[in-house]
This record gives sequence, C-alpha cells and structure tokens, in this order.
Amino acid sequence: MTRGVESVCTDRRTGMAAPPNIRLDLSNRPENVVLVRETLAGVAEAIGLDAADLDDIRTAVTEACNNVVLHAYEGEEGGLEVEIYAMGGVCSVFVRDRGIGLQPHASEDQWIVGIGLPVIEALAHRVDFEETPGGGTEVRMEFATPGAQTLEPPEGEAAGFPNGVLGAGATKVTIAPVAPLARTVLPRLLGVLAARAHFSTDRISDALLVADALGAHASRSASAGHLRIAVSIEPRNLELSLGPLDSGGGRELISGSTVDGLGRVIEKLSDHLSVAVDGTYEVLDVQLIDRR
Amino acid sequence: MASTAAVVPTQGLAPSKTDDVAELFERWHRHADPMAREALVRRFMPLARRLARRYERSSEPFEDLLQVASLGLLKALDRFDPKRGHPFSSFAVPTILGEMRRYFRDSGWSVHVPRGEQERALKVRDAQESFANEHGHAPTVNQLAEYLEVDSGEVIEALQAIQAYEALSLDAPRPGADGDAMTYGEAVGHEDERYELVELDATVTAVLERIPARERMILRMRFVEDLTQTEIAARVGVSQMQVSRLLRRSLDQLRALTQDTKKAL
Repeated sequence: MTRGVESVCTDRRTGMAAPPNIRLDLSNRPENVVLVRETLAGVAEAIGLDAADLDDIRTAVTEACNNVVLHAYEGEEGGLEVEIYAMGGVCSVFVRDRGIGLQPHASEDQWIVGIGLPVIEALAHRVDFEETPGGGTEVRMEFATPGAQTLEPPEGEAAGFPNGVLGAGATKVTIAPVAPLARTVLPRLLGVLAARAHFSTDRISDALLVADALGAHASRSASAGHLRIAVSIEPRNLELSLGPLDSGGGRELISGSTVDGLGRVIEKLSDHLSVAVDGTYEVLDVQLIDRR
Repeated sequence: MASTAAVVPTQGLAPSKTDDVAELFERWHRHADPMAREALVRRFMPLARRLARRYERSSEPFEDLLQVASLGLLKALDRFDPKRGHPFSSFAVPTILGEMRRYFRDSGWSVHVPRGEQERALKVRDAQESFANEHGHAPTVNQLAEYLEVDSGEVIEALQAIQAYEALSLDAPRPGADGDAMTYGEAVGHEDERYELVELDATVTAVLERIPARERMILRMRFVEDLTQTEIAARVGVSQMQVSRLLRRSLDQLRALTQDTKKAL
C-alpha cells in the first residue's frame, strides 16, 4: 500500500537488496524513541549530514516511531524495528512494527494520530507504507541527502546475535560498515542506555569513554564487516555484548585501549570484562555498574 | 468579495467530517464566506498549535510562535486547492513550517534554534552542578529531569548535545563556592604546581607529554587517583560536563598520537 508521493516499491526492494547500515531491534517502549533519534545523530556524524537535514529526518522518524509506540500494539508491548540506509546520496529509514497493521482505506486520523502523517509527508522526499508479512506495518521514508557522504553497502546478511549475557529484553543494534559507524553510534547508544539504567552523570560519562575506546578500534577486530551490539540494563547495571570479533579480537580491543601511564582505559572503567568464544568468532562482554 | 451577509445555519459549521471541510473550502474560496473560514481556522488551529509547540524550546514566547503558525495556517487556507485531491493537512504543514522558518530567519535566528538547544544544555549543566553540590554526588538523568521539570528524553539529548558544544567556552565564568566566579584558566593555574611535582616521578610517558598539562592533570585524576568526574570538576572548578568533554577529547588525541607513534616505529 502506498500513500503520498507516487512510488514503485518492488523496484526499491531490489534496489535495497543490501542489508541496512544500521538495524535496531527494540521494544515499543516510549524511551526507545530517544535511542532511535540519537542513532540517527550518530549516522549523521558518520556521513557528514548537516544539522538541518538531520533535524528533518529526526522529526519525521520520531513521528513514525511514536505511532508504533502509541498505536501499533493497542497498549501491549511489541517490537519496534528500525533500519537505516545511507547509500547513494539518499538516507532511507524504515520503521516497522508487528502489530495490528494498517487498515486499508483508514483515514489519516486513524492512522497516525494528530500531525504525524502530514509531517512525514512534508519532510520526507518519498514515503511508502507496506504491510509486513504476518501483520504489522512498515513506514519507508526516503530523504535526499545530496551533500552527505555515502556508506559502503554491507555485505550479505550477517549471522545471529552473539550469545552472551543477553536477555530477551536486550536492545540490539547491528552496524555495518564498522568504520566509521562504531565510532559515532556506540557512544550515543551507550549514553542513552546508561542514562536509562539510572547511572549518575559521572558514570554515564565513563560509559561514553568506554564506548569511544571500543568504537575507535572495533573495525580492526571485526573483519566480518559488521558488528552486533546487544545491551541489557537493570538499575545501575549495564551489560554489553559485542561481536562477532576475530579470534583474539576481544583481547585486542581491551589492550588497544591502553594509554601509557594511564593503563587500559576499558579495563579501568568497567566492572567486568570477559571474552566468550562463539563458534569461530569471539564476543566481548563488558559490564558497567554504578556503585555510588 | 461576497458580503458577510451570506448567513448559513450554524449547525452547518459542525467541523468534524472531511465532506464538511471540502464544503467549507468551497464556501470560503468561491463565496468568500468568512464564517466558513472561521470554521476552518477553528478546525485546523490544533494543527498550527502543535507545530508551534515544536519550536517552543526556543526562548521566544509561545504566543508569538502561535501567532506565526496561525499566519501560516491562514495563508494555507487561502492557497489550498481542494480539487487536487490531497488532504488539507499535507498542504498546511509545509506552509506553516515555512512561515515559521521565515520568521526565525527574519528575526536573525537559525531555523533550528541552536540558541534554545544551547540554553537547555546550559540549564542541564548548571542543574548537574547544583545537584552535585547539594547532595555530594552526581545526579541521574531522572533526577535532573525532575529538578528541571522536563522529560528525561530531553535531558538525555541535552547531555549528548553538550558533548558536541565547543561553544561552551572554557573561560565561561564558573560559579565558585562562595559566589566568586573562577574561570577554568585560573582554576587550572592554581592547581598546576602540585601536579607538576607528581609528574616528576617519571611515570609520564612520551605520548602523555604531548597533550596540555591541564588535560594531563584531569586524566591523571580520573585514571590514576580514581576520582569521580564530579570530584574532579570540584577540584578544577569546571563543570562535570566539561570534565567529560575534556576526557573524551584528550583520550581521542592520545589514541591518534599512539597510532602515529606505532606507525613511526
């Protein structure tokens, strides 16, 4: 189903055969909208997107996400899936739910309450609405970003999430290519989640330093070309799993954070570090606690 | 212009269904019926109001913003062509946003109101300090949100924005404990002597030596003395946010320097 600007979805599907540069698997809890907004800011930094374009994209995507938060599951908890593509002078953002789905011929008031839909239509270069297999809706927004750099298309579909400390409620993010996205997205991601884990501003900032250290060297230890990050939070506790890393990649990441005279930054700031072997790959688990 | 005497039954103005909207446009555009226009304004004013709210973070009074948005709405009502088959709102939103952007431009503001954003960031920074002074430890985001009576999402975004602001000048006056303003430069100068002595014990390596003494001092406090950032902030006389930024920046520089050194070897 298509609304707004004329479109050819099937062509776009083949055109979008590459996996997204970023994929977020979240729940439809309202606080996850901030996570999506901050991830978009991270992408903008990676591709040199100007503030006005970022603002437009964030506004439109916020409306689409709010719709999933408020209406997709009729008050129940469910998935909020976001894919971001930044290739070929275009930034596309798909926002997907697995909820009640779009009723054909629904009026826009039923569809996205208030000004959501007109805002998306006004800000996006192109908007399509698709029904997702098995129910639910996907809003596909395309934004022209002529001045921005383009990211490499990720290669193939990556394997599942690393088996680490992850619970079902974990926030899951896949990024590819690892450079430059790990450097710009990881700190924003951990910053938001540390805040949500009731960390003090001191400890939130430590989380940023750990994320910086991981992001700076991740591409060297992740030759698979993509990185999956899963984060579980509880009050004053944040657990992060990062993989797939090459054999020995976990240790390499930790020792790569060494500053002569200060020690290993990641080790100094985190409460627990471990490397798990997952088939031919490694997964680094990092735990941060706020002990104040 | 048709005269205002074109009286219509009031129940005809009930502005709820799409058909009514089409009819109201017909009456306004073709017969210049001011009551039809008023009904349209009433119906779509919530839209203008919500768009105005978007810019409320700026320090402009909301009434002014609402006025600009209303002006945009009136323009949209005049220019809208119902025959094209698009809903009015999809025409009105860009028109109203355009009007607001023009207003900000004309009054010397950037469309994206960085001043509002920066003001918010400064408020968060100051609240962080007041809280830390009062309670002896750093606040959580929820505590800051409560303190500032804003949504915690806004605080999170402000915290992230602070990381990017070079505009929060290092020499911005800091409120001292007894109300004295102390600049960052003064505070560092004051503390420096002590740390010069520590550095004589030869633990400082070639790479660390290449960043400024004040950054080196802050790194040392965090990683060697294991002080919290709030404790460092109190000692140095800058905000904790500033300590956070300085740590991130200097670690970034050190990473680059280390890489250069490795390449050179």
